[in-house]
Amino acid sequence: MGQLGSRVGLYDAATVRVSATGTIQVMTGAHSHGQGHETVFAQVVADKLGIAEAAVEIVHGDTSKIPFGMGSYGSRSLAVCGSAMDRALDKIIAKGKKIAAHMLEAAEGDITFENGSFSVTGTDKAKSFGEIAFSAYVPHNYPLETLEPGLEETAFYDPNNFTYPAGAYLCEVEIDPDTGKVTICSFTCADDFGNVMNPMVVEGQVHGGVAQGIGQALVEHTAYDENGQLLTASYMDYAMPRADDLPFYQVDHSCVTPCSHNPLGVKGCGEAGAIGSPPAVVNAVIDALHRAGMDHVDHIDMPLTPARVWAAMQA
Amino acid sequence: MYNFEFAKAKTIADAVKALSSGDAQALGGGQTLLPTMKQRLAAPTTLVSLNAIPEMIGVCVNDAGEVCIGGATTHATVAREAAAHYPALAALASHIGDPAVRNRGTIGGSLANNDPSACYPAAALGSGAVIKTNARDIAADDYFLGMFTTALDEGEIITEVRFPVPQKANYQKFVQPASRFALVGVYVAKYAGGVRVAVTGAASDGVFRWAEAEAALSADFAATALDALAVPGNDMIADLHGSADYRAHLVKVMTKRAVAAAA
Ligand SMILES: Cc1cc2nc3c(=O)[nH]c(=O)nc-3n(C[C@H](O)[C@H](O)[C@H](O)COP(=O)(O)OP(=O)(O)OC[C@H]3O[C@@H](n4cnc5c(N)ncnc54)[C@H](O)[C@@H]3O)c2cc1C
Repeated sequence: MGQLGSRVGLYDAATVRVSATGTIQVMTGAHSHGQGHETVFAQVVADKLGIAEAAVEIVHGDTSKIPFGMGSYGSRSLAVCGSAMDRALDKIIAKGKKIAAHMLEAAEGDITFENGSFSVTGTDKAKSFGEIAFSAYVPHNYPLETLEPGLEETAFYDPNNFTYPAGAYLCEVEIDPDTGKVTICSFTCADDFGNVMNPMVVEGQVHGGVAQGIGQALVEHTAYDENGQLLTASYMDYAMPRADDLPFYQVDHSCVTPCSHNPLGVKGCGEAGAIGSPPAVVNAVIDALHRAGMDHVDHIDMPLTPARVWAAMQA
Repeated sequence: MYNFEFAKAKTIADAVKALSSGDAQALGGGQTLLPTMKQRLAAPTTLVSLNAIPEMIGVCVNDAGEVCIGGATTHATVAREAAAHYPALAALASHIGDPAVRNRGTIGGSLANNDPSACYPAAALGSGAVIKTNARDIAADDYFLGMFTTALDEGEIITEVRFPVPQKANYQKFVQPASRFALVGVYVAKYAGGVRVAVTGAASDGVFRWAEAEAALSADFAATALDALAVPGNDMIADLHGSADYRAHLVKVMTKRAVAAAA
């Protein structure tokens, strides 16, 4: 990001600590407050190392334990912190190969790591990930002169570009002609988020984002009177979207164009729902009014409350 | 919240006595009063709870066929127990607030408070109910005196509300998007002697009867009977959630819908 002119490194960081028994703690700079990092990050680690997800613990949020990171925002956690984690895992594997080469009496360049196993290419000589981890911490047969014990690595990753997710959002509304009340009948989102590590978590991100966006489009409003007095100081006047304001969503991410510049090929998905939904809702309302012959309405300020829509219809 | 004393009355007489001393105030479900105290907008020295007075709780039908509801009966109980006797009233109660509010809030508290956006005032005025207190009977027509203002005297408590049961009735509530109180609520009830139409949420003086609509509907109980009528916007509330004209318009729309649903 520094290269793009941000003048700071918008990196993130991860430390991967393998224990003597082969279980793993990953300390991440990004914080999870409901996004599901604990699930998805563990999945990425488990996939890459060929071990069980249950053996991976994601540690976040405690600044006395984690490396200094930039945090969760801008739909960046997996793309940036996940990539840092991937880089740290590369270092773990590289060190594992050195240990395996010694144990298997082969050249480091001849070691392949696949499905949780270090093997001498083209032979059946192999050591499991757990055996390597054990050897790193109980270094009997170990090249102590040239290699430090332990299996723990940190990586900082500063992306050299943004990720570019793309999507299309379709909203269908009905407007009560007598009251101006907008009801959302259906809502469909299609997004290309690059590689999708966990479809359910990604859908959840989109659902939450769309709910937030519909709230913005239809109800949420911070209003002041002419003297600067806040009129929406409690939930009696500040409307939050509630479950019955929202439809069931159709979410699709069948179009996968992997990101070309991060190791996971992932793109941001956290903000897509909240970005795509307000214009979809507002355009649907304007379109519905046009279809009903009210061509003069081509703009209504959000939120599209019944009172505002009705007023626009009268104009 | 400031400190206060708490008294739990077992009889109406006990409650009246407890309320006569100092700066005491009746406590129904606390859904309005407790938030007000937390915001330090009210600071009674004593709260007298009415929730443990058996004679003030429950729904029954008297010999005159009226539905009688104890003043400390919760909205949830009315929704459940009045359904067989007065469905429109039970339906109204079942849409007040959320389950937590309905399980605490009481009819007496709602009518005593007379929030200009509350639902029960429309039912009481629309049904020509009688509000019984520890001291007297007050006809609904004489009871509502303006926003948050009623005919109740200091320390007077609503012990029961009597609803004559109409032939047909319906309540239509157009909700304010945030609070989900009535932005406009219209209660229409057809009795042998005529139709009553009570409107809540709309007017700055609180619940009111729409006389022209009552006359038109008494002659012809059909939504189309209202076509030629309009409510003037002068006395309507105008706020963030709707202009005076919008509310006036909604009064007619909701009245028509109530008639259509009742007919
Ligand atoms: C989130 C929320 C949503 C709500 N939504 C709605 C809605 O959609 N529609 C609606 O109509 N209301 C709504 N309400 C208000 C609700 O109906 C309350 O129950 C009602 O306003 C007050 O009743 P209460 O029993 O809680 O009274 P309290 O809060 O206990 O008392 C209110 C006032 O009445 C007095 N009082 C209480 N009982 C009596 C009595 N028997 N005789 C004389 N005075 C008495 C008290 O001294 C106090 O001044 C809502 C409230 C909340 C918190």
